[in-house]
Amino acid sequence: MTLELFAVFLGSSIRLATPLLLAGIGEMVSERAGVLNMSIEGMMLMSAFAAAVGAWGTGDPLIGLLIGIVSVVPVALLQACLSNTLRANQIVSGIGINILVLGATTLAYREIFGARSRAEIPGLAKVKPPLLGDIPTFGPAVFEQVWLLYAGVALIIITALTLRYTSIGLAIHAAGAEPKAADKSGLSVTRIRYGCVVFAGFMASLAGAFLSIGDIHTFTEGMTRGAGYLAIASVIFGKWRIGGTTIACLLFGTATALQFQLPALGVVLPNALLIMLPYLLALLAVSGLVGRQFAPATLGEPYRR
Amino acid sequence: MEAVSPRPAEAVAEPLLALSEVTKRFGNFAALSDVSLDLRPGEVHCILGENGAGKSTLCNLIFGVHRPDGGGMRYQGAPFLPAGPADALRQGIAMVHQHFSLVGDMSVVDNVLLGRERGILDRKGCARQLAKIADQYGLPLDPFAKIEDLSVGERQRVEIVKCLIRDPRLFVLDEPTAVLLPAEISALLDVCRRVAAEGRAVVLVTHKLAEIKQVADRVTVLRGGRTVATSSEPSKDIDALVRAMIQGNVEALDTSAASILGLELVAHVDHEPAAKAGIEALQIDGLTVKDSQGVTRLDNFTLTVDRGEIVGVAGVEGNGQSELTAVLAGMMASTGGRIHLGSTDLTGRSPKEITAAGVGIVPEDRHAVGCVPGMSLAENIYLNRLDEFTRFGFLNRTALEREATTLMQRFDVRARGPGALFSSLSGGNQQKAVLAREITLPNLSCLIAAQPTRGLDVGAVAAVYGHVREACSRGIAVLLVSSEIDELLTVADRIVVLYRGRIMGSCPADPARKDAIGAMMAGQPL
Repeated sequence: MTLELFAVFLGSSIRLATPLLLAGIGEMVSERAGVLNMSIEGMMLMSAFAAAVGAWGTGDPLIGLLIGIVSVVPVALLQACLSNTLRANQIVSGIGINILVLGATTLAYREIFGARSRAEIPGLAKVKPPLLGDIPTFGPAVFEQVWLLYAGVALIIITALTLRYTSIGLAIHAAGAEPKAADKSGLSVTRIRYGCVVFAGFMASLAGAFLSIGDIHTFTEGMTRGAGYLAIASVIFGKWRIGGTTIACLLFGTATALQFQLPALGVVLPNALLIMLPYLLALLAVSGLVGRQFAPATLGEPYRR
Repeated sequence: MEAVSPRPAEAVAEPLLALSEVTKRFGNFAALSDVSLDLRPGEVHCILGENGAGKSTLCNLIFGVHRPDGGGMRYQGAPFLPAGPADALRQGIAMVHQHFSLVGDMSVVDNVLLGRERGILDRKGCARQLAKIADQYGLPLDPFAKIEDLSVGERQRVEIVKCLIRDPRLFVLDEPTAVLLPAEISALLDVCRRVAAEGRAVVLVTHKLAEIKQVADRVTVLRGGRTVATSSEPSKDIDALVRAMIQGNVEALDTSAASILGLELVAHVDHEPAAKAGIEALQIDGLTVKDSQGVTRLDNFTLTVDRGEIVGVAGVEGNGQSELTAVLAGMMASTGGRIHLGSTDLTGRSPKEITAAGVGIVPEDRHAVGCVPGMSLAENIYLNRLDEFTRFGFLNRTALEREATTLMQRFDVRARGPGALFSSLSGGNQQKAVLAREITLPNLSCLIAAQPTRGLDVGAVAAVYGHVREACSRGIAVLLVSSEIDELLTVADRIVVLYRGRIMGSCPADPARKDAIGAMMAGQPL
């Protein structure tokens, strides 16, 4: 592998890992508070679609991004309401939402774009960070990325610090591990969990927008293709920790990038097998390597006083 | 309501919290009816009552977990109706709950800070505050230890410190001594006194009379959700208080029941040694259990129980008792050692084979293991022998219910009838039914009972031990696992103490050895 090829591989790994990372960190926060948010896939797809429509309609990708974020709020509130207030089964309700969003976005896409499915959609700008961007070969290939990627990294660092050093972090931990203790300390478990699901929705909306207007500047039906489930797998693989989840997302991103890299290297493998690779990896990671004891104690259980 | 002793002329302080004719209903069931109570600064006020008397409900009303359906509360002279625990905490009421509410995988400091501080956490500052409180009240703690690494007594201390750090005016403790070692109990009562001496009001909920004698300024007795007695000189009125609590005659109390209350009239009663004593029935040899993490839960446990003998297994919960009983019941695999019943090897046998061999099991968790709450009482009583009522694959319900009725009478199981849903029975009746099933096994030669009286009221406790003794006098070997030393001292012949999965030592069940047993429970060898 030449240096150039390696730099491109590295850059595309990071780019492909970004939506997983954004969604994965949001999912991790939600799960730490005790809500298994299966609708992350639907949230991403919703935002990918709404951001694409917004950017296409207004001509401004930034407005598109905002519309993407706003579009996920009702989905997140629905998920939060089902899993907290109505105490529905979180896996069933999440999958229901995913199917609903897939149907709704597909229908709306055909209605709005129809014949114009090749329409060019304005996308988010790339930035060239100072110093890092000037490195020969690696600068342009690795570090010249959409600004949302850097914003995402900043958000993840802020999330990590918040979980570790603030009262919000303690409250989230307690809500997932021992909600009774949180309740008796005068905290509202319901409010914490609503907040965390909405945060997961916000992160998923960034991930979805990154897919459509950040990465490929177009929308296709069901374009998330299980990225939300990969994000959930990366939380399990990362043992509900920020560092672990990040590594898992980068791993899955790299596996996805291999799809494009292996043919370029002349390795002949059936295309379907390559597409399967990240999902296969996720399956292995989730089934083999991880024990349950790392999960928040009340993950998936609605709280009842 | 019977005022046991006249209140001293009101030279007393203004009440901090006054409840007047408070009522709380859950559906049709009145948990509290017309309860009046006042709590004054600087006093330790004990609430005495049996399980189900409404003590916890009362605490939950004060702490804002529930709202009263009738009557009113006044706090510091103003009407008081907390919107929730957060509101009560803000107004200076702190509570130590019956069940710990700590987050196991967080540190002591983080548990103390939870819900108390906003924004960025000052863990070091909090640790300093903890050290100060530790000095002030004698509650030493490592602020950065994880809760799951602490002993039960230490966790209790965390709960107390969590409250005291808020500087409460009213401090409520709901049955805080149920899980503690004797030495820890007196330390806790000492803390109560110090807290009250600072001018705070302390409410101590208990069903142990010894604690009341030691610490109470005033006592209110609840029975069936009503105030049935009050006293401002509890140590003088103790007999009257007990009578009010259990609505009966103290002298007629079964000794084991009295011991649970902490009455000192108790002396160990030797039951007649059964004719077959001296014949080994249950032999446990080097039993060892390692859990999936490789931690040794039960370490080389060796014990022989003779026929007609009751051997008590004492120890603080979580020291291997659950593993011991689960292995003996065939519900858990041992990693070493052997179990024999007479000449039959029971090691690694299934629960069905163990039952068939004549071992009756009263499991620790009667809800999860001992019964099927959604089935009828009759079905539960004969759960392990339903085959006997089956003909051509069909269950003969008439015969089943007829037989069950006989057993219900014999064991005084009170229910609407044999067809009543098991979950509709009270805890005491459920336990009696489970006991009836196990004790009437046709070829019973050994009974293993784990915490058989937990959560039962005094009458039910007496009944349970009556049946256990009766079984023993028929020559049954009994292994009794309990965390209540007083109970073991009165019922058992011999006591072994479990500590971290090992037998710390054994001694005859002599009340004079209570301190020694307490020390062994805390990990000090004899």
